[in-house]
Formats: sequence, C-alpha cells, structure tokens
Amino acid sequence: MSVTFTVNGKPAEFDGPEDAPLLWVVREHLGLTGSKFGCGIGACGACTMHIDGAAQRTCIMPVLMAQGRQITTIEGLSSNTDHPVQKAWIEFDVPQCGYCQSGMIMAAAALLHRHPNPTDRDIDREITNLCRCATYARIRAAIHLAANMAPGAGDETVKAK
Amino acid sequence: MSSISRRFLLTGAALTTASLLVPIAMRPARAATGTDAADYEITDWIVIAANGEITLGLSQPEVGQGSYTVLPQILADELDADWSRVKVRFVTGRPAYKIAFRQEAPVQKEGASMSTTVLYERLRTAGAAARDVLVRAAAQKWGVDVAQCRTENGFVVNTHGETLSYGELAPAAAKLPLSVTPALKHSDKFQLIGKPVPRLDTPAKCNGSAIFGIDVAVPDMLNAAIKSARSFTGQLVAIKNEAEILAMLGVRAVVKIPVVAVANEDAGFKPAEGSRPDHYNAVCVVADHFWQARRAIDLLDVEFDAGTDGDLSTAKINAMLGAALNAEKGVTALVEGRPREILEEREAAVIERRFLLPHIAHAPMEPVNATANYRDGAVEVWGPIQAVAACQEAVAHAVGCAAADVKVNVTFLGGSFGRKIVPDFVVQAVHASKAVGRPVKLIRSREEDMQHDVYRPNAAGRIRAVLDDAGYPLAVHARVAGQSLFNATRKSWLEHTPEGVWDESMVDGLYNQSYRLPNFLVETIDTPLPVPVYFMRSVGSTAAVFFWESFISDLAQHAKIDQYAYRRHLLADDPSALRVLDAVAQACRWDAAPAPESFRGISYNCYIGRRGRFKTYVAEVVELERIAERFAIRRIYCAVDPGLVVNPNTLKAQIQGGIGFALTNTLKSRITFSNGGADQSNFFDYDLLRMDEMPAIIPIIVPSDRPPQGFGEVVLAPVAPAVAQALLHATGRRLDVMPFPDDVFRAPADDTNARAR
Repeated sequence: MSVTFTVNGKPAEFDGPEDAPLLWVVREHLGLTGSKFGCGIGACGACTMHIDGAAQRTCIMPVLMAQGRQITTIEGLSSNTDHPVQKAWIEFDVPQCGYCQSGMIMAAAALLHRHPNPTDRDIDREITNLCRCATYARIRAAIHLAANMAPGAGDETVKAK
Repeated sequence: MSSISRRFLLTGAALTTASLLVPIAMRPARAATGTDAADYEITDWIVIAANGEITLGLSQPEVGQGSYTVLPQILADELDADWSRVKVRFVTGRPAYKIAFRQEAPVQKEGASMSTTVLYERLRTAGAAARDVLVRAAAQKWGVDVAQCRTENGFVVNTHGETLSYGELAPAAAKLPLSVTPALKHSDKFQLIGKPVPRLDTPAKCNGSAIFGIDVAVPDMLNAAIKSARSFTGQLVAIKNEAEILAMLGVRAVVKIPVVAVANEDAGFKPAEGSRPDHYNAVCVVADHFWQARRAIDLLDVEFDAGTDGDLSTAKINAMLGAALNAEKGVTALVEGRPREILEEREAAVIERRFLLPHIAHAPMEPVNATANYRDGAVEVWGPIQAVAACQEAVAHAVGCAAADVKVNVTFLGGSFGRKIVPDFVVQAVHASKAVGRPVKLIRSREEDMQHDVYRPNAAGRIRAVLDDAGYPLAVHARVAGQSLFNATRKSWLEHTPEGVWDESMVDGLYNQSYRLPNFLVETIDTPLPVPVYFMRSVGSTAAVFFWESFISDLAQHAKIDQYAYRRHLLADDPSALRVLDAVAQACRWDAAPAPESFRGISYNCYIGRRGRFKTYVAEVVELERIAERFAIRRIYCAVDPGLVVNPNTLKAQIQGGIGFALTNTLKSRITFSNGGADQSNFFDYDLLRMDEMPAIIPIIVPSDRPPQGFGEVVLAPVAPAVAQALLHATGRRLDVMPFPDDVFRAPADDTNARAR
C-alpha cells in the first residue's frame, strides 16, 4: 500500500513500510535534506517539520501517519528565505554551526502561529529544541523580532519549492 | 533538489536524482592555464574568473565559529573586492593553508583557536599581493604609472576616471610575478575588518540548503549504519543472523569493519602495533536507504567480546584518581621558590581542596558520518572533516594507498568541538565502500556517536596552600591527575624531565596562571586508561582553571577579602589582566550591593594558545538568583581582550555560545563507564543546556592594539568557577565535582525572566 501526502504544496507518495520514519522518507526519497537527524528519539528537534501547521518531530513519526496530511519542511517555509522567522534569524545571525536551525526555525514559526506575541515564558516552555552551540540568546531575540514584524508575522506561508 | 511532484516508488534502486550539493567543495590547486581557463588563481586563496566573479578560498573548515565569513573577510578587505558578490569555496593543496600547531610539520587543520591568529597576516598579504598585481596589470594596460591607480570594489580606477574590472584584468594579472612584500592597508582604510559583517552562510543555514556531511549525495551511493563493540577493547565474535538481515528490504551487504585507530595523531592515526586487518570491532549494514540500514542493524544479532579491559568502570577510574592524588609525588610541571618546604613548615595552617571532573562527550548535533568511494586503490571522501591531512593519512594507512591519492571534500560541519579531527568515522566508511564496490555514506546513530566518541579526559585536582599575613597565597602545591591526552594521542607533545613526562594540557591555565605567587609547585600524574580521548573545546583548561579559580575563591574567603579585590591584588603587575577584570567588575557594578536574593561570582583566566601563540584575557561574573530552594543563573558578564577583533558579530556569538557550551559541561555533562564501555547513549541521559536555562549574556570587548588572538575556546573555563563562587556566597556550599549536583540549580522559568534578558 502507498501513503500519499503533500510536501511543501506538492503531492508525494511513498510505497514502502508504514513505519519508515517520515524524516528519512523526506530526506532520502524526496531529496529534501534541510530537516536533520540528531538523535532518533525525538529529543533534540532537529527533525521538526509542520504537519498540518503543527510542529512535529519526524524522526519518530511513522510515514503512515503522514497519510493525507500537509507537510511543510524548512525548504517550504517560504519561497525566498523570507518568512519573518527566517528574516529575523538572518538579521541577528542566529546560526553558528547551523545544524539544529532548520528544526529550530520550524519550531519558532509554529510557536508564532499559536502565540503571535510570545512572552519569554512562552518561549521557554515551547522551544525545547537542543542547540549544542548554545545560540539560545539570539534565538530568543530573533523570535521577539519576528513577532514584531509586519502583520501576519505568525502566519505560515506554505509555498511550493 | 528533486522535484516532489513525481511519485517516488520504493524499488530498491538508489536515488536517481543524486547530485553533489556541496557548497564547500575542494578546489584542486592549479596554475592559470591561459586564455582557455575560466578562472585564474591570482594568489593563495584568491581566484578571479574572467567574468569578474571572485572566489575566496576557505582553508579552515566552518565548524560554527564563523571561519566561512571571517577569513574571507580579511582577504576581501585587502583585495578591495566587492563583498556583496564574493563566493566562498573550500580549498586545499597549498603550503599557505597549513598551520604548525606545535613542533611538527604544518598541516591543514582547524583547531586550538589558531585559525585567525595564524592566518591573519598571511591572508592580508595574499589579498594585498593580489590587489598589487591587478593594479600593475591595469597600469600596464593603460600605460600609466601605478601611482595613478587605485582600487575600489572590484575595480582598478585611474586618475582619468577610467576603470578596469578585476575580471578583465585577471588573465594579465595571473601572468605577472607577485610582490613578496605588498603594501598592506592602513587600518584606517578597513572596510570589512573590524566591522560586524553578517555571516555569509546564514541564509543557507536558514532555508535548508546548507549541505552538511550527513546530507551528501553522490551518484550510485548506498547508505550504511554501524554497530560497534561496547567495550573499547572488544572485538567481533560472531554475526548470528546475517542471512536474515541480508533478506531485509533494501539491504545490500553486511560488512565487518576492522578496528580503526582513534589515537596516535603523531603517526597520522596509524593502526596500533599488533592490530590486524581481520581484527573487527564493528559491523555495518549497507542498504539503499539509511532507514533501511538502521532497521536492519537494530535487528542484527551480533556478539562482541569485551577484550582486555572489559572491567573498565567509573568506580575503578575514580579509585585510580584518588590514589594519584594521595601519591607521594607526581611529575613536576613547574616549581618556583620553596613551596614544599613552606607547606611542611606550616602544616597546621594548610588549606586543601580536592576536585573531580569526569570524561565528557563532544556530542556535536550532527553525529559523525562520512561518504567514501574506494575505487581502484584510490579513495575520495566527503564529509564534516576538520583536518584534511589527518584524514588523508589515516585512510592511506588503513587501505594501503598513498595519502596524496585520498581526495577530501569538506562540507559544513554540524558542530565538532574537536571531534571531527579524528578520522575514525571516515576510515570506517572507506572500509564499507571497499567491501561493496560503491560509494557508501556511513552515518552513526546518536548512540554510536556518543558511545564511541573520543572523550575529553577526566581530571582530579588536589591543591594545598598557606597564606601570608595579609591573607594572600604564600605557597601553593597543585596536583592534577587524569588520563593524559598527550600520552594517549600526541606523545611528541609531552614535556620531558628527569622525573618523567608531563602533559601541558592537563594543567592549561594552572601552570601558566597569572596570579603573583612566590612559591608554586605544579605536578601532574597520568592515570592511563583504555578510554579513547581527544581534544575538546578548551581542552584541559576546563578542568585546571575550574580547580584553580575555585581554590583562589576559597583562599579569598579564608582571608575575608572581596573576591574581586583579592584577584586585583594578585594581578597588580599585569595591566592586561586588570583591564578585563576591571571591565567586568564595572559592567556588573560589582561594588554596588546586589539585588535581594542575587549572588555573584567572579573569575579570571588568561587563555594561552599552544606554544604561546596567543594570549586572550577573559574575566567573567555570574549572577545567580535564589528562587525557592534553588538558584537560577540569570546573567553572565564576560569581558575579553582578544586583540584586534576582525568581526565583532561572530566574536560576540562565540562569547554567547561558548558560555552556553560551558554551562552544559558545568551542570550536566558526564560519561560513566561499565563493562568496558560508555554508559550514556543519547540526549535522555546526556542532556544539553536548553533555552529556558540559558542566562542573559553581557559581552564586553576591551579594545586592544594587539593582532587577533585565538577566541573559539577562551570563554569556557572561567564559567564553572564563577558559578561555584556565586553559590559559595549564597550558601557557603562548595562545589568540587563537575557536573554540579542537580539539586542546586534550576531554570528561571518565571515571568521575571523577561527582566533578566
């Protein structure tokens, strides 16, 4: 049986074991390597994508659960690296090694969708992705900056890539 | 990127759209070949295309520290290139790209915070030489004197207002001899150096297009997972269900992997004496897709033995350390004055403390991985490789080819902190490729990465002192025991004395400390272990400076003297030290009473690079706030004198990130051992600092006339002792063991957080 879903606005289909992790289906079968592997147990968040707009750690998500869903990866968050979160990340030069940042940006974008003006407490509670380089200070500042950008800052733009 | 409107059927075939999407790619050195060549290598690092595109070579891997921007920035400034249009590519193959870390031959390698310090002058000279030869080419073309020409933003302009682009001039410039001593710009004229230039790699790291080692895809590539013996001395006994594994979906091969060297960098990570190609300690499953390989390896029924050191355990290790601290004598690293005699004479007044640090793991967010293609006795590899030469040598040793026949392609590294210098993970990929006759990308699971790391060594300290009548240290005897890094992997770096050998890294920041001390003895004792170890960001200073600064804090308390004043007194002869110490004290208003429930700790260290190549002065203040029964780390002030700051943006990021990294070490990191191997395996039992635990960081950059000094590692060591001192002020409790106990600290996690940011 095959699993059909949408990735960044385009249809996709996977014929294979139902429990293949969505992260690896997206990385290897769809060639979208922006989402990363960090732990394989859902602990670090490097694999975060949006499933119907909600942040999800996909290293532990069986592809079967993607059936009929709209998946957005970092590549599809915007068409020109111009989602407010991405613009804020660039403004403050958030990434160091950068490996966690795809997941971090997806988590931040999802946070802003739910909390367009998050407090530091909201950020503490909702951003649990790990960053080994400890870029947390700039992540926090960039989330606040993104929240303060043009109206609709928290809206997710699902653009085809 | 592949189009996702196509259906992707799982047929067992390799990816059909594989292409190498590596923004940092090796560029073989080649001379300008005349009019047919599209590109002209003008100098080391600088390639100018006939169409005007300027490619700046990056010879130091981008591990997060910002080399991808900072080093090209230096070139571009001297060159007067149009920064908005430069491209960056990784380069190898020239002597200028090599750094001498100590007494051995120079190599191309990133580490020891050397990159900017060592390369600054070379990069400026290359940029200036290129500008000079472009000007001469233009002057020739115009028939004018060079004095009538100047450069601006990728053009040579003459006094008549005529312009020629660097692209137009490149063919002619490439033929002119370079000046050996080109005039460097006066610092007044810097356009980029000293400015907070935004990082070039940020957009790619924000949109998923940056290629890390784990993202590499080459034609015909297979993917592999690996399972290793738990014990560091263990070997493969039997694979019991190979046929069943081979029958699993997508699986192509089960490959036994020989024991690969993780030590002896002196010999290019040559396999140890007595090792044989049929000594295996790991098994790979090679499949079409990584998830298939991983599923299969998780079902692999494999038996390993424990080998000679199957009884390795933390209890044994700590017993060794305890015995070493109690031993009669160690190897003397430094002796000044009459410390032993004075301590003996005044035995009753001796203040003593002991300290303990565990091994810790690098845990880069990108687990180690490599892609290798072994074909016809030559090898090409791709991956997050921090040292090109070490990789070539290790692969050459392992498969019997020449190092020059190993082509190395370096991607972005998803963190390293020293881990990705050791090329064991590359050699394993090469073995897998050799076995299957196709390129193989071997990715370690987090468990494999963590349990087969090359750990930062453990350390124990014992420090004894007596005070003079004013309360300052009169005589100090410090001993550090631990697994010697140099003895394990860099014997040529050991110092030789009649008493024996000692390892400088074990006493980084202690034996070369800055406080005025009339009588001082520093000893080391090596407690060798079969644990694989390697350099990790900040090396031995993470231990020795914790011990030393904590001890100084104790002495100040005994003497009932303020911690800042105490250090100030002991650094009275060191104006550079005082500048940063005063700067941090001023920034946090040390002299003013702290807010209620707020407690502060201050620390100082001068980070001295290997062989004294640089000195970076650092002073930090940590502010704790008591919340209920625990303490939140609210703010950390960090004053630095790093010499000339090439890029204040990346420097401040290193301050923030370095302190955060140190807090993970201080509060959480430990590797314990049992049954010959490491216990921790993933982030559930090896936690990292999280967003809610990160304090506000206030960086203070003290201006300096000195050239750029090393920076990637320097802010780590003072963090732990400053935290400990603040807690000492708050509770009187001493923290002697890292990681600090988990009943003390907490995340702020309340609404007052906003105020602290």
